[in-house]
Amino acid sequence: MKKLSLLLIVAMLAMVMSACTSNSNSPGAGQTEPGTTQPDGSGDPVTLKIVYKDEGTANPVSVKFFETLEKSLAEDEGLNVKFELVDLAQGSYAENLNLLLLGGTIPDIIYFQGGDQQIADQGLLEDLTPYIEKSTYIKEIMEPHNQTRMASYPYLLWIKPLAPKAPVVRADWFNAMESSKALMENPTVDNYYAFFKELVEKKPGEGKPSYALTAAGDIAEINFIFNTAFGLDTTWLKKDDGTYEYSKVSQNEKEKLTFYNKLYKEGLLDPQFITKQWDTKEDAFYKGEAAVITGTAGKIIDLYDGRMQELGGDDASLIVLPPAKGEAQGFGATDVTKEARGLAISSQSPHKDVAFKVFDYLASPKGQMLDRLGFEDEHYKVVDGEIELNEKYYSEWYARFWEPTEIQSETPLKTPLLGEPGTESLKMASDYYTEDNNFIIPEQFIANWDAMNNLYKEYSTDFITGKKDLSQFDQFVEAWNAAGGAEITKYANENIK
Amino acid sequence: MKVLRRLRQDWVLYAMLSLPLLYFFIFHIIPLYGMKLAFQDYRILGDHVWVGWKHFKTLFSSPAFTSVLQNTIIISLMKIIFVFPIPIMLSLLINEVRSSKYRKYVQSVVYLPHFLSWVVIAGIWISLLNPADGGVNLIANFFQLPSIDYMTSKEHIRWVLVFSEIWRSAGWDSIIYLAAIMKISPGLYEAAKIDGATRLQQMRFITLPHLYSTVVTVFILNLGFFMNAGFDQVFNFMNDSVISVVDILDTYVYRIGIGNGQFAYATAASLFKGVIGIVLILGTHFISKRFSGKGVW
Repeated sequence: MKKLSLLLIVAMLAMVMSACTSNSNSPGAGQTEPGTTQPDGSGDPVTLKIVYKDEGTANPVSVKFFETLEKSLAEDEGLNVKFELVDLAQGSYAENLNLLLLGGTIPDIIYFQGGDQQIADQGLLEDLTPYIEKSTYIKEIMEPHNQTRMASYPYLLWIKPLAPKAPVVRADWFNAMESSKALMENPTVDNYYAFFKELVEKKPGEGKPSYALTAAGDIAEINFIFNTAFGLDTTWLKKDDGTYEYSKVSQNEKEKLTFYNKLYKEGLLDPQFITKQWDTKEDAFYKGEAAVITGTAGKIIDLYDGRMQELGGDDASLIVLPPAKGEAQGFGATDVTKEARGLAISSQSPHKDVAFKVFDYLASPKGQMLDRLGFEDEHYKVVDGEIELNEKYYSEWYARFWEPTEIQSETPLKTPLLGEPGTESLKMASDYYTEDNNFIIPEQFIANWDAMNNLYKEYSTDFITGKKDLSQFDQFVEAWNAAGGAEITKYANENIK
Repeated sequence: MKVLRRLRQDWVLYAMLSLPLLYFFIFHIIPLYGMKLAFQDYRILGDHVWVGWKHFKTLFSSPAFTSVLQNTIIISLMKIIFVFPIPIMLSLLINEVRSSKYRKYVQSVVYLPHFLSWVVIAGIWISLLNPADGGVNLIANFFQLPSIDYMTSKEHIRWVLVFSEIWRSAGWDSIIYLAAIMKISPGLYEAAKIDGATRLQQMRFITLPHLYSTVVTVFILNLGFFMNAGFDQVFNFMNDSVISVVDILDTYVYRIGIGNGQFAYATAASLFKGVIGIVLILGTHFISKRFSGKGVW
């Protein structure tokens, strides 16, 4: 036994010693300059490896999509491309992708859902600016927020409409309230309060709702409705003396939390919102326990609408409520520092140009037809020269690449891409678009930033639920500054222009 | 030659042992090689940059580190003190059940939670502890006691972790003790009965002493996981109200390391955890060996 133990210890020590010696990974092979690949239809196809969430070889729709895309590229652009889908293990996409990349496998096209910045910092992502400048279609369909984000962080591209979270309520309940009209005409915080109160008092759904508003785990979703009304319209608020302060430690935040505390105390805000997850939140909405929830503008709100009508009939269709009006009105400022998710091209790819040509093709009218409408006769039919989308389209199809607000289809659409509430929510998001003044948190502040955010989360929840009195708000501000807030505020004041 | 003869003689047993050994080699020995990342800035391409203790310095100077370490130690200690003895008691109780049908039924029921994931268990416990209509609070209300929001209460949440851990693992963990009890010679109990020993005396003077070495071994091995206060559990039970009392090293590493792509930093924190685990295992082993003559080996 002693010999065996000794042997094991020696083996472990050997491993540790070898682990502590220097090591290097060989640079990625085949790095070429942009424009050197020949993306024509002759010869062997160019193989593009692509890693994308939920788009693996086990998904028949993905496989068909990329096969169809290969054919379309060959027919329309003369590009001889073959896509190779990279399968990732089940579980968190961001984590598995990081492991794939850190293991040295770097596909040509990479979809990121966070974690891209560290990869970009190592020079592994291609700066897309020159490609976009030379593009035929991409530059035409980019939304203003995409342009600002690309100017600040040129590695991720994600042309999608702005999608803040917008509040929705069943139309039959909304119409049964006397305060509805005032809310729609003048959505002040007071009118919102009156509407919530009436909903809970009158209970239009035979004893329901139990509470007016719920959220999944924190107040971030509710903030989309009320932040701007309380003057919290940017991450860093400009004070009278011209300096900036973090919005979450401002007096405006205190006023907002006082309002949330009032909603909580009076039973208008779900007493269990802290332990709710997205699924239990939606369940509470469908079952009528909560009258109002927020949903991501666009398709998600349409899905809520469809499900609610399935359960409650046509009268239960959803109405999108406007953001509250106060010091200003809106769903909050949009973060334009970078795309939070999106597609990147590997700087190590020998086929960067071809990869971008694929991006550009998908922004063209023909590419958009495939990406946004699906397969002909499966997701839509062309009837009398017009495109008629079917149920399968609405329930199954989603654009994998670009979704500009206006679709440039060669054939006119007979049926809209989105339902009424989805379209309305996107319109509101666009109407209230403003840019945030936040910045990418520098690496040296990341650990402190996490501590500061946790401090805010805990204090704000305690203020709302009444576990802490709002007179202790200054105590929170002090703690936040001590946890690194003072340092980052200094950085903000030096860097915000 | 002796070794070869024993290998040939018990080849079936060694073949069975080879798979777990392979598992430990692949998943626990080979990854040791990756420890070096704690001392480097990782580069996917090109040479990694040797940065020495940089990540450890950042870790120890982080404002969250003290509270995260404190939470890890408190939760782990609570689990060691309150969770560890339960499977031993449970195995003793199951052993006393005379009807084999009923014993099997009890065993099946207590083993079941082990097969549920923490996501599901968290859902069950959140419903069970709901202050409005959760079972626990309804019972409390029946006895004129006020409802408590256990999930958002800083005073109670750690106890929720302890009790949910007991609920999930007590049954499954009792298997090893039951196996040890089954090995005890029935002759000892028969002799004790003839001498007039009661059931309680048989348990105290026969069963418990025979369980001692198993308990010590399991306890020492459990100490190796002391700093793993239960990532899956805490991650699923944590909410904004209780971060300051349940945020443990693993959840911190997950957020900062995995979430923000700071892999070297995460490795440093894991290495720190691992070193403490080894110190605890070896320390307890040698102390136990010195005082009782029994240890892991």
